[in-house]
Amino acid sequence: MRKFFPVEDLARDERFNQATNEERMADPRGTSNTGVIRKARSTNRLTPLRPDATDAARSLMHGIMVGEIQALEGAGRTCFDFVTGEEAPFALKLDMARQCWDEARHVEISVKLSEWMGTELGQFIENTVLFAAACSQDPVLRLAGVNRALEGLAIDVFTTMKEFGELAGDPYLAFCEDWMLADEVTHVKMGSVWLRKITENDPERRKKALEFQSVVDKIFSYGGLRSESDESPILLARRFRELAGFSDGELTEIADVSLAALNERREAVEKTLASSPA
Amino acid sequence: MADPFKARNPFAPWDRRELPGMFDVEETARRVGHYKWAEMKLFEVLGGWIATVPEIDVKLRLGTHCYKHAWHAELWHNRLPELREMNPERLTVAPNDAMVRFIAALTEPEAPEMTIEKLVGVYRVFIPHFISAYTFHLNNTSQITDGPTSRSIKFILQDEFDDWRDGEMLIQTLLTTPAEVKRASEHQARLEILLIEAGGIAGPGTIGSAFAE
Amino acid sequence: MTVTVEPSIFKIVKYDSKEIAGVAQEMLKLLGMESTNLLIDVDETVAMSRVTTTLSDPVHILVMSSAFENLKKPMTFSIDNAKFSLGRGLLRIRDRQSGNFADAPTDEDLSVVESAVWETYCVGRLSRLGLKVHKQRWQYNFRNRHGFKDAVDKQFEKIWEADGLTWSQLSEISQHALA
Ligand SMILES: [Fe+2]
Ligand SMILES: [Fe+2]
Repeated sequence: MRKFFPVEDLARDERFNQATNEERMADPRGTSNTGVIRKARSTNRLTPLRPDATDAARSLMHGIMVGEIQALEGAGRTCFDFVTGEEAPFALKLDMARQCWDEARHVEISVKLSEWMGTELGQFIENTVLFAAACSQDPVLRLAGVNRALEGLAIDVFTTMKEFGELAGDPYLAFCEDWMLADEVTHVKMGSVWLRKITENDPERRKKALEFQSVVDKIFSYGGLRSESDESPILLARRFRELAGFSDGELTEIADVSLAALNERREAVEKTLASSPA
Repeated sequence: MADPFKARNPFAPWDRRELPGMFDVEETARRVGHYKWAEMKLFEVLGGWIATVPEIDVKLRLGTHCYKHAWHAELWHNRLPELREMNPERLTVAPNDAMVRFIAALTEPEAPEMTIEKLVGVYRVFIPHFISAYTFHLNNTSQITDGPTSRSIKFILQDEFDDWRDGEMLIQTLLTTPAEVKRASEHQARLEILLIEAGGIAGPGTIGSAFAE
Repeated sequence: MTVTVEPSIFKIVKYDSKEIAGVAQEMLKLLGMESTNLLIDVDETVAMSRVTTTLSDPVHILVMSSAFENLKKPMTFSIDNAKFSLGRGLLRIRDRQSGNFADAPTDEDLSVVESAVWETYCVGRLSRLGLKVHKQRWQYNFRNRHGFKDAVDKQFEKIWEADGLTWSQLSEISQHALA
């Protein structure tokens, strides 16, 4: 088996269809308030009050499920791709193996929740951006991009879904999301701890890792999916992120980037419509 | 209640543990170092394969089992300094070149169509050899002086049996034609031959000798 | 029956207005609504699945682009999804045309609870007409709006199996479920 497994080769059964993030970004459509929908709701935040709440929650849950599969695959690759001791510390690999088990459970949980919500495996397209961030040749970059940026997003998503379940009175959703949230905080912490430890005497490497993290944060905020604005479906979960080792400055930066991304998406839709011939 | 000051045997009547053991501290450390090396190779390859298998149930089992073997490696890593090896990396090695070649052959399959080979290597060859190496160690070490190793082995064996069952059942769901059965057994034979050459996970004598001297 | 689709040429999604019109005609036939004229307005800027109908001549159907989308291949057309989305909208129109739903709010003014009840009624009927339906999805939607209780599930079944209900009967079942 090769070291460093390319994202295009991720193995899936016949039910799944995958798209790269570039392909997904080429879709300029928004889910923002327009026309009739504007009248029906004043916020995009994913709450049961939204008229499309059920389908939006189902689609998000499917996104979570495939994200968990990729998180599992990414952590697994970090166990294999680097020589123990020389390229990655033994203890870091143990953490990644632990993460494999957690992510495998998260897939199991998400599959069951998807069934409960009436979603079939592979019903929606799978964006492979999470695994793409796990393909870096530097384990520290993987930890920054996956554990800190993407698992940070997972904290925001699970917090939103947990609230959704509580408001709807769904006995399974809130229960499961709370458990997954506990694991994800641990994973983000792993990222924070290892980033600090490994780059303690290597400021250049740390800078590169943090840059990579903010690039990944930006990619995931594309379209304003997650921010502190009511227009974003997913709320930036500040408190849980603090627990996971993010500083105040970092949180403000993520919030700013996310809001900028929301505005970019708005402009993209307008531009596409204006530039096409009538 | 019985008189608390009446002299009692330190070993209760049902406690039949004995002092003698086949391994001294040094030999125990050597074996434990090989176990750690082998468990590491196993959790690494299981982790690496997750992305390569399309079968979702297999993917999830590999992820779960990956952690268990990492935990076993950690138990052995922590045991080594207790066995007077202050630099655990020194003993974290393969017993010989044949074992290195076995791991290379085990790890080789990558294509998504090769789940049978991947699972056969782990669950029909490697894990059965772990079970035998650990069982031999447990049954031959001093039940009193080497209590910590025995305790770890008991936990580990529980995992190995559980995972072997999982893996074997997955293999049985994948073998649906005579050609696939042949594929599985050919790969198994190829790996088994390398392990014979290695003498087992801890090298020659991994499970002692079955012959009358 | 005339069916007009707007826009006639799509700029963002890869849909074909003639294909959409064909699917709509097929659904009108299946639902016995041959005398109904349609204007289907697709908002291709929004990736949502909402379908809003207005009883007029022609009947106006406003469709968010994902209602016709192949969700496995975004921005491409799915006949099955289009049939299903149009079917739900057209059944609401048929209910309104029958006069039994005169007291129902307009689509735009339906509350999330009312909407879930009517959707259940429509999808149950579509499943009996042979359309591929994932019942659990609609059960989950109904539970989200009425609560996660066995008593709620019973009311869901009642609506799912029903034909020929009036708006007030539907509302009454919904009230029972909420109680
Ligand atoms: Fe996870
Ligand atoms: Fe995670």
